[in-house]
Amino acid sequence: MITTPDLIESLAAKAAPVRRLAPIASACGWLAFAALILGLMVIGHQLRPDLAMRLAQPEFVRGIAGALATGVLAAIAAFLASVPGRSRAWLLLPLPALLVWTATLGYGCLSNWVSLAPGSLPFGDEAGCFALLALTGVPLSLVMLIMLRHAARLAPTAVGILGGLAVAGMTATVLSLFHAHDASVLVLAWNLGTALLLVALGGLFGRRMLAWVAP
Amino acid sequence: MSSGQPSRGPALSVVREVAPDEAGLPDRALDWSICMARAQEGDRDAYRRLLEQIAPYLRFLAGRRMGRGSDVEDAVQDVLLTLHAVRHTYDPARPFGPWLVAIANRRIVDSLRRRGRSAARETPLEPEHETFAALETNFSEAAAEARALREAVESLPPGQREAIRLLKLKEMSLNEAAAASGVSVAALKVATHRALKNLRKLLGSEAK
Repeated sequence: MITTPDLIESLAAKAAPVRRLAPIASACGWLAFAALILGLMVIGHQLRPDLAMRLAQPEFVRGIAGALATGVLAAIAAFLASVPGRSRAWLLLPLPALLVWTATLGYGCLSNWVSLAPGSLPFGDEAGCFALLALTGVPLSLVMLIMLRHAARLAPTAVGILGGLAVAGMTATVLSLFHAHDASVLVLAWNLGTALLLVALGGLFGRRMLAWVAP
Repeated sequence: MSSGQPSRGPALSVVREVAPDEAGLPDRALDWSICMARAQEGDRDAYRRLLEQIAPYLRFLAGRRMGRGSDVEDAVQDVLLTLHAVRHTYDPARPFGPWLVAIANRRIVDSLRRRGRSAARETPLEPEHETFAALETNFSEAAAEARALREAVESLPPGQREAIRLLKLKEMSLNEAAAASGVSVAALKVATHRALKNLRKLLGSEAK
């Protein structure tokens, strides 16, 4: 086994200049990438036909704003929480937006459920929905994983969960813009299901995935 | 939201030779902060000085959590390696202490977890697990192989067995063996050659 003085000597010999991490700037970089993906989606896919009409509804706007804010705040929180020595309270940053988002979805679902005739759950193009989900979720997750790889040996689980939440907020925003769901229960299932799935994946495999890309 | 700014900033008076106290960092944090900032710019001497100075402090932190043991030094080295890998995450505008302690605590907790896992699955081989103090008594495979070899030698024809016994087991020279057995040197050579060939066949066939 190498002795500690020898280790220090070898580390000092390898001390090349490094570029300092700026967590907020990194978060902005990731958000810019998310915006790019969204822009490509707008070019490649058709926006949902009833978007203009839906944007006039405060409930829809509140839901989409909640999802977007959750994504943005979770991304910032993930980058800040990945820096050692920062307060753990940053982990709670996306919580208010998350509450607004889920409350809007839940309330819409509840009021819609009452007016829905039993047995008439209208299913849309679910395969297309899933493809959209994968198209946005996979690149966003990969880029976030690579940008946060230094957290592998520091706080992999917490950072994994926040990263999953950030990707979930962004994909939910994209889904709401492109995919028309007539029943809000499906909106809820897609949005929250995706969020839970991504957060669970981040929590369970964050450690392993970060270790995989770590230097 | 709190920004996580610790209220205790590093004091400007630099006090040398302060032992690390229970509460946390010695007053050298400002020195360390400057050294780290220089290290990020590639100053190797500052970096070496910093690592040499924080190593005893890390040993103290690890020792407090892990007790005395050889894995304390492992944990210290793990912290140093991690610090090296994430040295770009240090922001010189912020205090050095919390950054270092966060890394150290994380790695020490991971070391403790690793130790817990291996303690649950592994049993160390202690001196009392050995049957006899002599080394060869603890190698059962070697004992089994020696028995097989002895039996193979016993099964050789008498002339060949005698040649092996004198030349290989008693390690006599050819002349001594010839004098002891009354067989010519040439005959001994032939017998030894055939005996080794037979032994090779016997042991090789058993191995298959």
